[in-house]
Amino acid sequence: MSETHRKLAALAAIWVVLVCAPLWMPLVGGYTALGSRVLVLGLAAMSVNFLLGFTGVLSFGHAAWFGLGAYGCGLILKFIALSTPLGLLAGTLLGGVLGGMLGALIVRRRGVYFAMVTIAFGQVFYYIAFQWSSLTGGDDGLRPFYRQPLHLGFTTVDILQNSTAFYYFVLICFAAAVALMGFLLRSPFGRTMLAIRENERRARFLGIPVEMHIWIAFTLSCFFMAFAGSLYALVNNFADPRGLHYSQSGDFVMMAVMGGMRSFWGPLLGAVVFVVLQDYVSSITVNWQIFIGLTFVVVVLFFPRGLLGFLQARRRG
Amino acid sequence: MTQLILFNVTNGLIIGAFYVLMALGLSLILNLSNVINFAHGGFLVIGGYIAYTLEPYLGFWGALVASPFLTAIIGLAIERVMISRVYGRDPLYSLLLTFGLAFIFEDGTRFIWGANGKPFAIPAFLSQPLSNEFFFITGYRLFMVAMVAVMVSLLFLFLRYTRVGIRIRAGTLDLETVSALGVNVRALRSLNFAVGIFLAGLSGVLAGGQLGLEPTMGSGLLMPSFIAIIVGGVGSLPGTLVGGLLIGVASGITAAVFPSASEAIMYVLMAVVLLIRPRGLFGEEGMLT
Amino acid sequence: MSLLEVNHASKNFGSLVAVRDVSLKVEPGELRAIIGPNGAGKTTFFNLISGFFPPTSGSIVFDGKDVTGLSVARRVALGMARTFQITEIFPELTVFENLRIGAEVASGYRLRPWLGKSETAAIKRRVEETLELTQLADKSSRLVGELAHGDQRATEIAMALTLKPRLLLLDEPTAGMGDKETYEITRLVRRLHRDNAFTVVLIEHDMRVVFHLADRIMVLAEGATLAEGTPGEIAANETVQAAYLGKAA
Repeated sequence: MSETHRKLAALAAIWVVLVCAPLWMPLVGGYTALGSRVLVLGLAAMSVNFLLGFTGVLSFGHAAWFGLGAYGCGLILKFIALSTPLGLLAGTLLGGVLGGMLGALIVRRRGVYFAMVTIAFGQVFYYIAFQWSSLTGGDDGLRPFYRQPLHLGFTTVDILQNSTAFYYFVLICFAAAVALMGFLLRSPFGRTMLAIRENERRARFLGIPVEMHIWIAFTLSCFFMAFAGSLYALVNNFADPRGLHYSQSGDFVMMAVMGGMRSFWGPLLGAVVFVVLQDYVSSITVNWQIFIGLTFVVVVLFFPRGLLGFLQARRRG
Repeated sequence: MTQLILFNVTNGLIIGAFYVLMALGLSLILNLSNVINFAHGGFLVIGGYIAYTLEPYLGFWGALVASPFLTAIIGLAIERVMISRVYGRDPLYSLLLTFGLAFIFEDGTRFIWGANGKPFAIPAFLSQPLSNEFFFITGYRLFMVAMVAVMVSLLFLFLRYTRVGIRIRAGTLDLETVSALGVNVRALRSLNFAVGIFLAGLSGVLAGGQLGLEPTMGSGLLMPSFIAIIVGGVGSLPGTLVGGLLIGVASGITAAVFPSASEAIMYVLMAVVLLIRPRGLFGEEGMLT
Repeated sequence: MSLLEVNHASKNFGSLVAVRDVSLKVEPGELRAIIGPNGAGKTTFFNLISGFFPPTSGSIVFDGKDVTGLSVARRVALGMARTFQITEIFPELTVFENLRIGAEVASGYRLRPWLGKSETAAIKRRVEETLELTQLADKSSRLVGELAHGDQRATEIAMALTLKPRLLLLDEPTAGMGDKETYEITRLVRRLHRDNAFTVVLIEHDMRVVFHLADRIMVLAEGATLAEGTPGEIAANETVQAAYLGKAA
């Protein structure tokens, strides 16, 4: 089977699995709402990887945009309008625009300094979410709000009560975002991102204004991230300040690394493994954090290329 | 009114001194090895708990002296076994590694010593206030500041006048050349890391005496350390010193005028610095880019 | 009008003077070689011209335009292309992909989210032309990281060529090469200069290459200009012989 055929087959397989999830999930002890959750977290991990794996820029505070998306969506649904699409739009804009603005401040720095500042930025929003409790609900998080039924003109889809319908709604959103992401990565702009990752100096000496391109990639990933966050608010009917904390960022980065940073679908796989692992471990012990920490350590030391990278290497060598 | 301001500024300086101790250790490790040690707070906690465990046998002073060394040894072991493996790689990996270690430390502490807070006894004479007028300056707080001052001075002397210290400073600027000159860079990094962890462990003991011990006490101190480094300028230890004091004092003053914003002011300071002078107050252009 | 004019450029790093009051005028179609002992400041000089860092004093004028304050990317857009002593390429991409990036940037597509059919075809043509020019067509789908050193350097030069530059800056193009590869690269540069009228400034240590290719030679030593002239003049120059040529093979 040629390379292209293999890739197409893999792609088809992934979509079959995703589309049929409500059918096979109960068979393996899962449930549809878990599927929705994993899809959204997977999207978040892929959004982080848009920047991390494909541009080579280390942002460790990316959960900030995720959390902002969640709060934006929740605030709309709670205070302004009972409209799911509006909530999604608002959350995406809030995270994306703020991300773009702040990103402009820091693109001149790179490496660990950039990572440090992104962490600090994330913490600012975490702090605000906590303190501004009259608006955000503080420590308890933002609630109550509920995802609203979708009015499609010819029919109304109840995504609140019907978790299967909601799963397909999330899947459609996921598909749209992922398609756009893939499209961008294959574009001339996407190739400049790869160039920056592969050899920043050479990219610059080919005429690519590196800082500007990094800012654009950063902003795009913030928009994707915020979209994922908005979806997450819909999944939970709840926005959590902990979603803004840098440890959430660390989780997303770990998902990307675990699945394989250099591959497009790797982060989704990483999200699946991470969520399943976390759920399982926290159900059998109270000290589950030690295991999560150990996972981080083991992956970094022994599987830095992630699952897909590991499999790829085995296939080649 | 002056009493109030004085109270808060002094408070701020004391807190600032504390941030300085933490941030300096973090900064040392960052500058030489390009590693953001997320586990720094975890080492603080370990330092405090080790002191707590040793106190019945060695007393306060014995624990105070022994614990930082023991913590540094643990840090050294971890650096040798794990962290040194990721030096050459993308900084992403050291971030994730120390991140994972932070989780392990926090939960591990909870596992070994229990989730509840533990008291840490300090000698009676230290808990007396200095005078009735300056009631807020207890002996212990003065002692903490004094300890920090001593440590900072020792650190600067170490870096300036000892051979190892000079090599560390040179390594911060150009590790390749230092290596080419025949210095054992591996050992240098390990030692540097151990010094940083020593400071963290000491911070833990001091914090324990002031606030009592708790598994989560480390993570709350990590952010201020970060901000102290960003404000003071990445790559500059004097900058970290100034940064830590600055955010401590700012926090203290804000507590007098606007109590709920005393934590926020740190972030505001950071934002201002990033806008006006992105490299930090004392930062060098091009450091760690 | 000269294509490149460097006027009294100096570069200090703290108290270290790397380049001291060096001036240069390159005419269109010329091939200028810069030679000198190690540490003479040749690469630093190149860095000044290409915009890697600004000069401490002096100015750089390219095609009549003062570029002293412009960024690297801006200068590249104006027509300067550069290769490095240690080859800077994209090792995990194929030769074609390496060249495509430059072609897309130079065609103004760097921000485009998609390309139309004719645009894609134009890019493909451009890359293929460059592959022909540098005789790399048979290696077009190989990963650059797996190529021999000489081919990697040729790829780097090809990447510079896809930019359709006005000026080629080559930093020690034959560094680390054996005789055969040196010959190949020299032939390539000569072809580019003679047949395609590229303006080239190159830094070289290999005197055979220098005397074979150069129209004029500039000799740098300790950051300052030691001598300047035609190959014949330089070869006969006693100061140059004493300082440098006498030591080289």
